[in-house]
Order: sequence, then structure tokens, then C-alpha cells
Amino acid sequence: MSKQQGRTRRWQWLAGLAALGVVGVAVMALRPQQVPFEPGEAVTRRLSAEQYENIVRDLFGEDIELGGRFEPEMRVDGLFAIGASHVSISPAGMEQYDAMGRTVAAQVVDEAHRDALLPCQPQDAGTFDEACARTFLQDAGLLLYRRPMAQSQLDSYVTAAREAHELLGDFYQSVGLSLAAMLASPSFLFFEEVTEPDPRNPDQHRLDGYSKASQLSFFLWNSAPDKALLEAAGSGELHTRAGLRRQVDRMLDSPRLEAGLRAFFADNYLFSDFETLAKDGQLFPKFSAQVAADAREQTLRTIMDVVLHRDADFREVFTTRRTFLTPELASVYRVPLFSEVPNGAPEGWHAFEFPEDDPRGGILTQVAFTALHSPAGRSSPTLRGKALREVVLCQKVPAPPGDIDFTQFEDLANAEGSTARERLTAHSSVPSCAGCHKIMDPIGLAMEHFDGIGELRMTDNGAPIDPSGDLDGTSYNDADGLTQAVAQHPAATSCVVERLSARALGRLVARGERPWIKHLNDSFGDSGYRLRELLREISLSEALYTVAPTRPEAEAVAALSALPATLIPEDAP
Amino acid sequence: MNTAASARQTGFQALIRTLSWAGTALAACVVTSAPALAAASPPVQTQTYVVSWFGQATATNDDDCSQGVHPEVEQLFLRYAKALGANQSQINAWHRGFLEGEDNRDLMQLMGMRGRINGEPVNPYTHPAAVVDLKLPGLDGPLAYGFDMDGRGADQPEGFTDPQTGEKGVDHQLYRALGCVRAFRGSLEGRPTYWAWSWGQLKESQPAWVVTLSGADLSADGPVKVRLERAIEYLRSNSDGSPRRDAGYRVDPDPRSRNEFDGVIRDGVVHVASSDTLRLLQSPLVVPELELDKFHLRLQRHDDGRVTAFMGGYQPWHDIYWSFASVGIGGEQQVTGDIIALYYLMKRYADADPDPQTGQNRRISATYYIEAVPAFVQQPQEAAQMVGR
Repeated sequence: MSKQQGRTRRWQWLAGLAALGVVGVAVMALRPQQVPFEPGEAVTRRLSAEQYENIVRDLFGEDIELGGRFEPEMRVDGLFAIGASHVSISPAGMEQYDAMGRTVAAQVVDEAHRDALLPCQPQDAGTFDEACARTFLQDAGLLLYRRPMAQSQLDSYVTAAREAHELLGDFYQSVGLSLAAMLASPSFLFFEEVTEPDPRNPDQHRLDGYSKASQLSFFLWNSAPDKALLEAAGSGELHTRAGLRRQVDRMLDSPRLEAGLRAFFADNYLFSDFETLAKDGQLFPKFSAQVAADAREQTLRTIMDVVLHRDADFREVFTTRRTFLTPELASVYRVPLFSEVPNGAPEGWHAFEFPEDDPRGGILTQVAFTALHSPAGRSSPTLRGKALREVVLCQKVPAPPGDIDFTQFEDLANAEGSTARERLTAHSSVPSCAGCHKIMDPIGLAMEHFDGIGELRMTDNGAPIDPSGDLDGTSYNDADGLTQAVAQHPAATSCVVERLSARALGRLVARGERPWIKHLNDSFGDSGYRLRELLREISLSEALYTVAPTRPEAEAVAALSALPATLIPEDAP
Repeated sequence: MNTAASARQTGFQALIRTLSWAGTALAACVVTSAPALAAASPPVQTQTYVVSWFGQATATNDDDCSQGVHPEVEQLFLRYAKALGANQSQINAWHRGFLEGEDNRDLMQLMGMRGRINGEPVNPYTHPAAVVDLKLPGLDGPLAYGFDMDGRGADQPEGFTDPQTGEKGVDHQLYRALGCVRAFRGSLEGRPTYWAWSWGQLKESQPAWVVTLSGADLSADGPVKVRLERAIEYLRSNSDGSPRRDAGYRVDPDPRSRNEFDGVIRDGVVHVASSDTLRLLQSPLVVPELELDKFHLRLQRHDDGRVTAFMGGYQPWHDIYWSFASVGIGGEQQVTGDIIALYYLMKRYADADPDPQTGQNRRISATYYIEAVPAFVQQPQEAAQMVGR
């Protein structure tokens, strides 16, 4: 080898090393940083009403009527998404699921839908086409149960359909009955996380591919996995880093992402309370069921505009002046909005931007917040402050004492000309009240320019309103200042990280998973608080798919032996 | 151009200042007008409203019908029957029938065709002049809301005195004509049955009317332009039926309902005394077109944001008659009372626009009372094509 050749080879070797380095850095940069954590337990979740509806819509179309009533959901630690792993189904609820399953199945196989929804048609409805029935039930089972059915399970549904056909003599009704049974099956109504030993880490368990697909799908889409995701689960693609990334990117680009985000924010901001929201018609004649529905939708549209359509800094949801209004809602805000449709036609949504010097900015000044967190007949600085602490900042506010005396606050007759601030000051001078009111009232008082439904006002009880205050050390002069303070509050972003993670897991974040949450907070900040990036980071996290090993059998037996004998099931180990 | 909207973009501070001055709802629609943004033009303020009540301005009291209010329509039917030749025992039987709650179907059939032309029965509502005139009295009290539209002042013997302003020589002969008919008696607060029924029909069956005031400084005395126009949208209501404040309305570009008058603000009250005619399309259920010649207006803005106004002029009384006649015998019994009496009363008291051939006046002085709430009003993109009047 000549000297020249040797130098060339050395340069080639160094260049190769450099290239490898660049690739390595790129890979490291692309690869989400995995942080050490101790996984939490696997959970089983009941489908929410919205998830049930979404699945039926995704599988069978928008026009399928459900015709039933869902079991009530339970909010745990601020989220229905966590409560879903704490609830079961009552006998009455089971009847409803059964009825809904029959209603849905009957529509799927009726003349209007069967050609589009069944993958095959029998030669004659009077003859039982077993191959066609098997194909249909197998396809439906895969999508409804979010994993392939066991052969025996499929056989039993096919057999049931055949036996039904002997009685009914109609192919479609027969397979419809088996489909109805599937829709009432626990395998459909519950998402059970199925785990397996993690081959890369023998000490840990991970979700199997199909559970991983469901975990992702319910998190990002609030619905069941589609065929592509199930195929990725079946092929093992989801267990590879590149495969998981491919699917996550696809899901983040899907229009279904909006349904997932809407479900999260509606859950997080307690929008289920709109179902029971009522206002005194004498005091707030503008309020109506339509205004309530529009207000809910306005805030969701505002959030979607920030975090999804513009992919802007999440904190803008607290300050943005861009929003969307209907004519009905515009009159509550007292802003000019003119219909663009003929009389009687449904009135749509209009983009609207509040001017810079308007006190409205961000979702906290919208009707969905101001009205939802006020009693029927007035505004409530305390309720609004409590909601902001708990919902937006994820801070706990202790429950009030049982013997609380509201007379000093509510007796307007003897407090003519006094504002809520003055009455609250008197009320919170009671020592047992002072501690909590101190953290709630200053926030709510900043929103006193918005009355019990959120209409602008300048006076309260005849006296000028002072909306100034302080949020954890940041002073402000009015609601606009408060929303800026909220946007800059570290808890405003850590709260959404915490709640999104809990939603993804279906449970509270475990103590051992805190390092993961810290990492998510850091990366959320690094991304400029882009929610889409946070969703991606969570979706690609090992913590989402790693679960603590189930308790050893001996430990379970010991736990059982501590129970009274009458409570031990006969088939217990 | 959307005047309220664009002004809102620039005038929020002014809005807040005004909020403390005039109450929230009024101020919501007090904005600086966009057309005024042209470089050389002085700034123009606008206030915009949607009409939330329309009815005749009435000031009924116990002493204004010296011959008593008109009898119930059933009693008048018996008088018609007598004039048509029914004998006394038949009339007594129908009278007993009314007292006992019977429907007196044969009398109703007779009344449904109580006109006579060449001795033959005809529909009385389409041929009111073919029905006998019972010569029921008009109102003879001294008070009525309205305006001295003919300028004859206190010298006018048939003129009323306005109970609000004290003005003498008020021309409101429609009130004189209808004021002793039960369905038309009432006050601004206790609304007459007919006009309450009529507004119920109007607000659900016609696009809303909108009012626009514009001037250099609407908080001070001085000149003002007053527009009365028809919107495309119907009046928006709250769930309890009350008018919805601060809703948006687009002005219908149809020139048949575009009206602009020069007025003046005196002591905060808007006055118009015009020689022109107001024309507003209305619902065929009432009057297809409200037409008030020599249009007069007195509009008061209230601290709670509402406005109330009296608007008067000379109105074709046949138009009013046909709105009554359209209800037929059912409405006659339930709403208006004797429709033929209304025909003769208006004919008797009509006070303007004599027919060149017969001398019969074709218009009657009338004053209506309106209420309106703050609204956002969008003028059409097209240049206004006001009908010259």
C-alpha cells in the first residue's frame, strides 16, 4: 500500500466514522429519549359513550342510530378517562347495551345498509351461507374486539347464526343476531390491557401488540384501531420503534385526531356539566340550551384552532382572541355577527377575533367557563377560582367545611351597593374559610366583569367592579392580566401533560412514572408547547406500553385467604 | 359595510366609557360608524335597534267614551238582525241562546252574510258599505298620544292633548275611531287585546324592523338621521319569548322598506317632523305595507338600553280596514269586535287626503307606539336606494 493509498484509506475511514456519527446523532435526535421509570399496573376500561358511538360510526357509518342509554360515567381525579377503569356495568346497564347492540345490528343488516356493510352476500337469504357468515363475523370481530377472535369464539358466533337461521330462515337476521351478541360482549365493551413478558427486558411486562394498538387508538382517536393499526399490531410492527413511529405519525395526521383531542378537552374541562347547567331565566334571559351547546362548541373550536389547526403554542388557548361564534352566542358577547343564510336555515359558525382592547381573551373568558362555573342566579368568584385551580392548574382545593355559613355573602338585601369582592372579604374573614378562599377568590374576582352567564358588566350590585388580583405572585389588573398570568404559570402546561398522560394510561400516573412525566414536561417546553408534539412524545413512550408484572400467584392466594370464606369464588386458586 | 362590526374593532374603549354612562345594553350598540372613516368626513355615531313591539298608541281612561264603550259583538249582531227584519221573539231567543252558551248558528249564518246589495245577501266584510251603519260612537275624551301633524295647534277643535308632552291639537283620529271598541282599549303598559294579538302575528310572520340613529354626537342635542328599515331576519327572541338584545340583523336591500328622515335631538329625545311618507313592508296578516304620510316620530332612549317611540302620520284607512276584515266572523267574535262598525268609524273620522270626486277623506291620522332593543344592524353592500318621498 502506498503512502497515498494509506492516507486515502484513512480519510475514507474517518469520513465513514463521521457519517456514522451524523447518522447516529440524527437517530438519537429522532428517537424519543427514554427515561428510567417504574411502570404502573395494567387496567381494564369500560368504553365511554362517545367511544362506543365513535366505533359504531367508524365501522358502520354515520347514519346508524344507537337507540339506547349509556351507563353513567364516573369522574375520578378530574377525568372520566380515569373513572373508566373504576366502573363496571349494572344489570340495567347491560340491558341497555344489549338493546343498543340489537338496534345497531338490525340496521347493519337491513336492506339499506347490508350491501355496503357486509363483505359478501348469500346467493339466497333463505339459505345459510356459512362462508359468508364466517367472513362477516370474523371481520366485524376483529374491529369490535380490537384483536382477532379465537377460532372457538368465531365458531360459536357462526354456530349461533346458523341456529338462528334454522328458526328465522333469514341469513341477514341470523348474522345480525350474532353481531348484536358481539356488541354486548365484554370483549367489546371493555378494553382489557393484555400483557406479555417483554423480550427486551425479562423483568418487565408490556402490552401485547393489539393492546398497544388500542392504547394508542383510544388515546389519539377516542375510538378503536382501524385495520391498518391492527395489521401493524398483528405483524409485530408496533413493537419496533420505527413501526410504532410510522403508525403514530399516521394517526397524528389523521382527521380522527380531532375527535381524540375534543374528547380529552371536553373531559378535562368538565363539559359533561353542561347537561345539567341551568340559569335563572329572569336574570339571564339570553341563556338557553342552544347557547349552552354553542358555548361548549365555541371553546372546543377555539382549542382545536390553537393546538391542532394552527399547531400553535398550547398556552395560547388562555390568551387567544381568535374564536368562533354563532349568532346566538354573539348576542351574549354583544358583538356584531350577521347570519349568512336565509331565514330558517341552520346558522353556522363564524370566525371572530376580539379586538386587542376587549376584555375577552382565551377560553377562561368564554361562556363555557364563566357560565359553567357560576350558580344559576349570579356569578361566583369562588367557583371560578376553584375551577381554574383544579381544572387548569391541576391543583387540589380542599372541600369546604360542613357547617359553612354563606349568609354574609348571599344576603344582598343587607349589603346594598357592595360588590362580590366586599362580601367575599367579609365571608372569608371566618378563619375556617380563609385558607381556601385565599387561593380561589382572587382568581375568580378578576372575572367579575362577566356575569353569571358571561355577559360583560361594569358594576356588581350597583358598585364598580375591581378585577385586580394576584395569581401565585403574579399581579394583574383585570381578566386579561389573569389569563396572561395563567398562560405563564408553569402548572398550566404541566397540568395538561399530567392529564393527557393519565388519559393515555387510563389511570393516574404512578409514583414510579414521575420521571417520565418530568421528561414529558421538558420536551413539551422544548417543542414550544406544541400539543401535537406532546401527543407524539407520549405515544412513543415506553411508559405507555410497559406494565408492572402481575402479582405472583402466591401473593394473590395470600390476599384471597385474608377474605371471609363466603367471598372467595369457587374457582379461585 | 358592517358599520357596527367595524366600529367595534376600534371603539371598545369608547364602549366601556359609554357602558358606565348609559347602561350596558344601550352602549353595546353605540359605535362609531365605518362610513365616517372617510378622511374628510366628521366622525359619525350610530345607535341601532330592533323593534320589539308595535301597536297603536292608546291612553284609555274611564271618562273617554261618554256614551259608553261599544256593546259586545253578540249584542251588535242582534241589532243587525233587527235591522235585517228579524222579529222580536227571534231576537229574544238568540239573546237567551247567547246567555246559555248556545252557538246560535242561524244568527251566525245571517251575520256572515249581513250585507245587502239589491236586497240580496252579500259578504259584509268584502262589502262593508252594503251593511247598515249602526252609528256607534267614537271616543270623545281629550287625551291621545300623537302629534299636531296638520299644524293647526290648539285651534283645532277635534284635536287631542298628548298626555306625555301636553301638546295641543294632536291629530290621532284613528284613536277616536277605535277608542271605544273593547279590543282597542288599553294603555302603553296594559296593551289592547287587538294590538297584542296583532304583534303576536307580526313578530312571527314578518322580518324585523330596525331603527338606526346616526349623528355627530348622539349624546348631545343636534341634528340626527333616523332610518327605519326592514331586516332580512325575523325578530330574535329569548327562550322566554322576550326580545333578544344585541343580536345581528341585515337590512333588506329592497327599496320598498328603506326610509331615512332628518330629525333633531332635543333634551335627549329624537324628534322627526317630516312631510315625507314612511313605508315599511309589513305582514299581510295585518297591513301589507305600513304607510304613514307626514311622518312624525318622538323617540326616547332609556338607561336600560331600550328605546320607546311614538310614530305617526296619515295612513290609508282602507288598508287598516282590510287588515280587520281579513279575520272574518271568527276573528270578529274573538278579536276585533264588530268589523263593520270599525269601517264606518274610520270612514267617519278620516281626516286627510280627500277623494277629489266624493270628498271622502282617504287617510286617517294615526300614531303607533313602538319599543325596540339594542341590536347590531348591517347595511347592505349595495348603495341605499331610498325611495324619494
